[in-house]
Amino acid sequence: MARYGMALDYKNCINCKACEVACKEENGVELGAEKHRIWVGGNNPEGAWPLLDMASASFLPSQCQQCDDAPCQEVCPTHATYYDENGVVRVDADKCILCSYCMNACPYDARYVDERTMTVDKCTFCSDTRLARGETTTACQNTCPTKVRTFGDLDDPESEISELLRTRDHFSLKAHLGTKPKLFYLT
Amino acid sequence: MNFIKKIIPMKDFTLKSLMTFEKTPLNILMFILTIGLLGAFGWGVIEYLIHSHHAYNVTREHPWGLLIAMYIFFVVSSTGLCIVGSLGDVFGFKDYMAMSKRAILGSIVTILAGFAVIAFEIGHPVRMLIYNVLSPGLTSAIWWMGTLYGIYLTFMIIEFIFLMRNDMKNARIFGLTGLLVGLAAHSNLGGVFGFLNARTISNGVFYPTYFILTAFITGIYLTYLMYGFRYKMNFPEEIKKGLIGLAKIQTLLLAILMFFETWKMMTGIYGGMPGRADVVEHILHSGGFVYGEVLCGMLIPFVVMLTTKWKSINLYVYASFIGMIGIFFMRYDLVHDTQVKPLQMMKLTEYQLPPKWIEYFPSAAEFAIGFGAIGIFFMLYYFGQKMFDLDGGDH
Repeated sequence: MARYGMALDYKNCINCKACEVACKEENGVELGAEKHRIWVGGNNPEGAWPLLDMASASFLPSQCQQCDDAPCQEVCPTHATYYDENGVVRVDADKCILCSYCMNACPYDARYVDERTMTVDKCTFCSDTRLARGETTTACQNTCPTKVRTFGDLDDPESEISELLRTRDHFSLKAHLGTKPKLFYLT
Repeated sequence: MNFIKKIIPMKDFTLKSLMTFEKTPLNILMFILTIGLLGAFGWGVIEYLIHSHHAYNVTREHPWGLLIAMYIFFVVSSTGLCIVGSLGDVFGFKDYMAMSKRAILGSIVTILAGFAVIAFEIGHPVRMLIYNVLSPGLTSAIWWMGTLYGIYLTFMIIEFIFLMRNDMKNARIFGLTGLLVGLAAHSNLGGVFGFLNARTISNGVFYPTYFILTAFITGIYLTYLMYGFRYKMNFPEEIKKGLIGLAKIQTLLLAILMFFETWKMMTGIYGGMPGRADVVEHILHSGGFVYGEVLCGMLIPFVVMLTTKWKSINLYVYASFIGMIGIFFMRYDLVHDTQVKPLQMMKLTEYQLPPKWIEYFPSAAEFAIGFGAIGIFFMLYYFGQKMFDLDGGDH
């Protein structure tokens, strides 16, 4: 029993999108731009070509925030969305009726429809793949060339993520909504 | 058949008499319209069965589309007709007694049309029936809404049976219970949107109460249309009295709705809160809201009823038709406006601009199923009229 979370040193992100590819490969996510469990958001650099301020371009890697108080779980009419023993928000495809209420309720746009099963899918922290094989990292963390992501047990005071959260300032996305995300952005 | 007639009194009819009708231009028009809409519904269903949700234009960012709007349109109509039907048989207002049977039949057939739409919107409707019972999500407004609507339909059918048997005491008991369950179901439907913390434009108390108000308004519009068609504008005195009363109530309800809407927009825009104020501005500049909701749904019927001092019943039938167009836009806009603001404001792929508003326009299959279900309503209502004696009831 753990309480998994992830810290993101997002300023190190170079938008190579290797994490998106690794996620799709590892978890068998469908092809197509709309079908993604994780993504890297970006803004356009300020200024006009050729005088672009490249330093103003920033990237924000993101995914399901694995909320402790997840709106998607609360609104599910059949308990298809649930917390597993490690606090990871998961979808039981056998119970999902595809009412899409969770997609509307998620403040992070972290859910999409898997058209092979016609159910809603989302990031699972590689629970069915890497963690199930006994590995301790997620695919996105493992592949990141600039070590943006640190995955681990928030309840273990000795874990790398706990150490990072103790020593670095951090924030969560849309924390004002009371969702208590377990993704932390390091500043 | 005799066994059924023992439970619910019916007219004597044959298959032939069910299929024949007086060949007036309006009847022929309605016949062609109904067949066309049913054909469209059938085509839409085939498209859905072949292409699944690919037949629809819903996306990750805009997962609810026209079919959800049409489902709401039908269940709002059902609740509204239930309220109108209850005025006579539940609350004992004598002027509306004669309307109960027709209104309750209307409430049953509109919700059936709504269920027909939602069956092709939900990805797994059979699984829904199973896990709604085996694994109920009690914190979900959709669970409550769906479950209560199921119970509501049962009560409406029982109430209708007692109405047809002229057993007004039992009709009143089941009518009142059905009305309460229906109101609970309907406000839960508002809660489906009201509970969305992530969507500041919809979040809050407005929709659960607004749904009840607009349901009553929709019920009155539909009652006018049903009676306009039934009596071809030559209303008998007992119906006239009820319709005049309904027009007065409608004027008051529309005034309250306009008051509600004004304050919703004012509080939405005040302070410039991102994600709410900008969406309100977007709504105020959209044709669907200005011409559909405000002009057709509220202003035209309100002005017509107010200026004619509730005497021109024939005119109110046309005003109600315009009003129903407005009600459609209210449902469509409600669904679209909830999702119009992107939750992800950064660009996710290169060579694109950051998203500003989510675009959505229904596909042909969505139009076919959504509007085609109006044909189901017409067909069921037609058979209901043929099979049951819906006139009278002033007991």
